[in-house]
Amino acid sequence: MGVAQLMPAWVIVTSVAVGYLLVSLGVGLLSGRNASKGPEGYIAGDRTLGFLILYFVMGASIFSAFAFLGGPGWAYSRGAAAFYILAYGTVGLIPWYAFGPRVAALGRQFGYVTQAELFAHRFQSRWLSAILAIISLAAFVPYLTLQMRGAGYVFNVVTEGRVPEWLGAAIAYGVVVIYVLASGVMGVGWTNTFQGIFMMVLAWGLGLYLPYKLYGGVGAMFTELAAAVPEMLAPPGLDAAGAAWTWGGYGSAIAVSAIGFSLWPHYFMKIYTARSDDVLKKTVIFYPTFQIFLIPILFIGFAGILRYPGVTPNEAILPTILMSMDLPAVVVGLFCAGALAASMSTGDALLHAAGSIMVRDFCCVLYPRKLTDGEQTRLIRILLILISLLAYYFAIVSEVSLVALLLMSYGFLVQIAPVMLSTLYWARSTPQGILAGLVAGCGTVIIFQWFPALQWQQIQPGIFGLLVNLVVLITVSLATRPMDEGHVAQFVVD
Amino acid sequence: MRLSPRFFSSKLSATQRRVYRAVTGWFVFVAAAMLWPLYTPFARVRPLVLGMPFSLFWLAFLLVASFGVAFAMYRWESRS
Repeated sequence: MGVAQLMPAWVIVTSVAVGYLLVSLGVGLLSGRNASKGPEGYIAGDRTLGFLILYFVMGASIFSAFAFLGGPGWAYSRGAAAFYILAYGTVGLIPWYAFGPRVAALGRQFGYVTQAELFAHRFQSRWLSAILAIISLAAFVPYLTLQMRGAGYVFNVVTEGRVPEWLGAAIAYGVVVIYVLASGVMGVGWTNTFQGIFMMVLAWGLGLYLPYKLYGGVGAMFTELAAAVPEMLAPPGLDAAGAAWTWGGYGSAIAVSAIGFSLWPHYFMKIYTARSDDVLKKTVIFYPTFQIFLIPILFIGFAGILRYPGVTPNEAILPTILMSMDLPAVVVGLFCAGALAASMSTGDALLHAAGSIMVRDFCCVLYPRKLTDGEQTRLIRILLILISLLAYYFAIVSEVSLVALLLMSYGFLVQIAPVMLSTLYWARSTPQGILAGLVAGCGTVIIFQWFPALQWQQIQPGIFGLLVNLVVLITVSLATRPMDEGHVAQFVVD
Repeated sequence: MRLSPRFFSSKLSATQRRVYRAVTGWFVFVAAAMLWPLYTPFARVRPLVLGMPFSLFWLAFLLVASFGVAFAMYRWESRS
């Protein structure tokens, strides 16, 4: 009789998960030793990150708890609608190949560590900086909250309810807060490398094993599905209510996600961390090798359709399948660790960015005198703790549905695209045009979100906002005085 | 001051400009090929390729092919 049979399954599962958490903590604490103490080190890693770490920073940050919960969930209940997740990542990061090196060079020249610093300097507007900081915070908090909920949920399900959700979320994010406080972006980077490898192995492992176990193989699975429920395999698939989704809804989900992909402030600021243009370019080129793991993720969801009908909420499908199979507890523990890794690798980047952005782009900009490096990092750490507590409150204590807020934040995010394009490619844009366009765009998003009937063909509010944004940006810019040519020439392509 | 936007530097050679335009064209095609109406004929269940419904295989193919195109451009840049 081995030890494994003497211990209840949930103890083994918890031990494996705790083992993973301890490794994450160790990696996170050790990684910040060599970075400089001020904002350049804490936020931008002294601009020394190499290809491997940047590859995993991007890959792991991008793939959140959604990868193991929502992703399979969408495939399970909405069928081919889930393909949108695979689609937008194919083109989404490519713009970095074009503007990344330029942004990194400007960052080195002017000392930027956040996205808004570039835009605010280009357009000489502190208001722009403050508005973008608020938009970022409003987008990050629900996103972080959902990651915390995901962590708590998984830990609870795999231990058959013995680890309460508040405790699972608190332990996982306690670890995150400690290593982000201690090591800043270097902590995010190295833990993401460890977590990213974990996630990839788990996704490929489960994504190939489950179809094999439940159907005899991927081909056999899809042959059965094609015969039984072909409507699940033909895009655009189903909407949230189970009715047929429109091409407008599906296509605009891809468009909004793809446009916003290169602009999410917590990804964008990683451009400044790259050691060289070559590192940046390789990260963009090789990103699809990470993205492709979404295919086995989708397989998992599809595998549930004909074998585990009626599971709600749809995010529960992967944990439900795993807990119903007679898998060794160690394997279940590894799944738990992988799901925690997915959540934490996104949460750490969000938390780190939220604190950094609020200090650099809001506090520093509005405070009457310049804050010293020491004051900035101290303030970032204080804000980190406050923001994590706020997100935890929403995750565990409050019942508020944040999905609507998160969807709206995607719409706001897309409004940054005209700002980005004008910064580097349109000299004639003016601060008034940029601000007017941004406000008009965000206002349109709010209106279309509040009155869903306005969403023609179920097209995302962000698209309508973008159209309004561009029209306002162009007309107001042309109607106002051009900026100083010498100043603009430092930024725009010539 | 120039009224229209400029996306490619005037300092690029004609060959460079051609390559970047072609790669941009590829990615515009890829984006369109994942959306209505260009995706529609490929958004079918059969035939199953590599075990996957054709609609999913098409997206996987675009991903892998795009990786190839981008990689080729990167190598070309490093050599010139």
